[in-house]
Formats: sequence, C-alpha cells, structure tokens
Amino acid sequence: MRNLLNFLAKYNNLIIFLILEGIAFYFITTGNDYHNTRVVKGVRGITAGVEQKINNTRSYFRLRDINQELISENTRLKNIINRLSVEEDLLFVPVSDSVYGQHYHYYSARVIDNSVNRQKNFFTINKGKNHGLSVDMAVTSDEGVAGVIVGCSDNYSVVMSLLNLDFRLSARIRSSGYFGSLSWDGRDQTVAVLSEIPRHVLVSEGDTIETTGFSAVFPEGIMVGTVTGYEKPGGDFYTIRVAIKTDFRKLYHVNVIGNLMKTEQTELQNSFQ
Amino acid sequence: MIIPVFRYSLIFVMLILLQVLLFNNVEFSGYVNPYVYIMFILLLPFEISSWLLLMISFFTGLTIDFFCGSPGMHTSATVLAGFVRPYILRLIAPRDGYEPGSDPSMIIYGFRWFMLYSVLMVVTHHLALFYIEVFRFTDFFMTLLRVILSSFFSISFILLLEYARRGR
Repeated sequence: MRNLLNFLAKYNNLIIFLILEGIAFYFITTGNDYHNTRVVKGVRGITAGVEQKINNTRSYFRLRDINQELISENTRLKNIINRLSVEEDLLFVPVSDSVYGQHYHYYSARVIDNSVNRQKNFFTINKGKNHGLSVDMAVTSDEGVAGVIVGCSDNYSVVMSLLNLDFRLSARIRSSGYFGSLSWDGRDQTVAVLSEIPRHVLVSEGDTIETTGFSAVFPEGIMVGTVTGYEKPGGDFYTIRVAIKTDFRKLYHVNVIGNLMKTEQTELQNSFQ
Repeated sequence: MIIPVFRYSLIFVMLILLQVLLFNNVEFSGYVNPYVYIMFILLLPFEISSWLLLMISFFTGLTIDFFCGSPGMHTSATVLAGFVRPYILRLIAPRDGYEPGSDPSMIIYGFRWFMLYSVLMVVTHHLALFYIEVFRFTDFFMTLLRVILSSFFSISFILLLEYARRGR
C-alpha cells in the first residue's frame, strides 16, 4: 500500500496527463465520426449565435460582390424569360403540374459558419427543421455541388462539405455518360478526384462532370466541375482530377434540394436487397 | 492572489477571442493555420503546480475545440504541450536558474530565450495537433510541411504579441 502511494505521488503528473489525454482521445474518436456530428451539433447551437454575429459583419463587407453576382444572375433569368415568353404564341402550351408532379423542392439558405482548411470540413447554414430541412438533403451553390446535410437542429443545419474525406458522390462525364465515384483526397481545396471510370472511355481536359441522381440525394445533371487532368494507374480505371466549380472560400448563398420521392425510391430499392 | 488570477483570466479571454475571431480565419492555400492561443500556456508563471497546469491546458484546448467544432483535437495537443512545459523549461533554463516569483517573459529573460522557448512549445503543440487531425501517416511529409509553415506563423505572431506586451 505504501509503495502504491509512493508510486502515485511520484508519477501523479504523468497519471493526470494520461487521464486528460484519454478524455481528449475519447472526444476525438466519438466526436469526429461522420454519424456523430449530432454531438457537435449541440455545441454548435451555443456557438452559432456568436458566429451569426461575426457573419453579419462579414456579409456587410461582401455586399459589393453579392450585388455583382445578383446582377449577372438577373440578366441570365431575364434572358430565359424572354426566350420562354416567345413560345407562348403557340396554340398549345404544355403545363407541368407543380403540385402533384413535383420531384424536388428547393430552399435557399445562408452559410453562417464555414471551414475549408481541415481534412473533414463542415459548414453550418441558417435553416433547420423549422424550415422543412432534414438530414440527407443536397446542398448546392449557384455554381454547383456543395455538400449534404448531416445534422439538423430547429434553426440550423450542419452540412458535410464536398471538401470532406468522408464525402462520396455519384458523378458522370456529361459527354460520354460514364459514371464513377467522386471524392476529395484532402490535398487541394479546388480539386476532387473521380475514380471508377473504365480505361477505354475517352477523357479529355475540360470535360464537364455532373451528378447522376442515382443516390436520390442530388438531382440529375448538377454541375460538379471540369476535368483538369487524368492518369491511368496500373489498374483498369482512370484517376481523374476534377476542378471543383464551387468556390468554398466564398460560399455564402446556397440552395438546399429535397427529393420529395426519396423515401419511395429507397424503400423500393431496399426491398430488393 | 486575486490580482494574478484576474490578469491571467483577461489574457485568456483576449487570446481566445484573437484566435477565434482573427486567426481561425487566416489561411494561405490550406497550408498555414496559425494557432496563437497556445501562448496562454507559455505565459503561465514558473511556480504553477503541474496538475494545475495540465488542468488549465485541458480547458484551454476544450474552449478552442468548442469554437472550432473539432472535439478533442486541440484538447489533446494542448494537454501535451502543458505536460512537456516543465521539461522544456528545465532544458532551456539560464545558467543561474529562474528568478523566484517571475513570469516567463521577454523582458526578464531576453529575446533569444523567449524565442527558443516558444519554438519548442509551438512545434510540440503543432506536431501533435496536425497529426491528430490527419490521423494517418500517408502524406506524412505534406503534413510535416503544414506543421512547419503553421508553426513559423504562430511563432511570429506570438513574438509580435509578446513584443507588444513588453511595450506596455
């Protein structure tokens, strides 16, 4: 007993150190898992208020850029209106039923907290369950794919960014239609990697990469980026580097896309597995 | 007794605010993320007992983790830094030892001593932090590059801050 006490007295710092490190590693292993963002979410609820304030200030300084973006988007939309209104001269106009035939529902949201410099990046948006958002909805910027919602509180949602080692996306080459799996390798914030494209497919730089819609999360045909380079490692597949269209450093306005028929599709698919 | 506690609380709050509001938003090409809050561990007095130092490190790291949304990473790295601090201080002690009742500051022990001290502490902390963040040894040298670049910036900012403190 005496020896034990002596031992404890001699090494008490080491013991405290090991206990504290043990607690820290417990946090790391439980808290950083993809599914355990729910834990982070609770803490985010506290800090989100502070971050909202910081963000309000920052958004004020960015008004000039945002104005520019809105102007360009306005002109684009006006062009589309112009094109559509010409066709109304036709005798019969096809009307798509927006109540019963709607497949996707769009929401807009603002990014209030963002990170791009970690290996597993998440960002927070200012809409949550109260606004109709739920886990597994797709998030896009005006330019292209941005991420997937992994956690929702009443007023905020945490989104797993495309710049996250755990992110997987089914994507295809627009010109040829061959699809593969897109992920981020943790190096460059502007480059993702598309794999599983078979070797016989013709790939060239500048090809457009878009989503396939197979996963029932993203709608079909949303821009991901363009091919900047490719190589053929030993196997049967290409490794294609894709320049991501979305600029995550200035991500601000995002669109959240909910698939209204997702449950139907996944239930049907699961019943055959 | 009360005044030093108050003083260190003030330093703590200021460093956390600096880190969260300013330095968390600094990044050049994904390689450089300065973590300046570790300066708080550097500034604690010599006579502080080791267990208190470890506890303070733990809560400093925890606070930063709350704001960064990275549970445990900063905590474990900061606790490691708090654990090695007495050994580093013993290693770089001046020939006639530390003056009783003094703080580790640039005024008393000079620029070279303080720089050596912060280099050793910051590099220990950043090594632990970045490798825990990546959690694998592939891309070993890329992570090492991030450690070196980030440490360089953290140390520069810490020296600047210490210089500003001295001027006051």
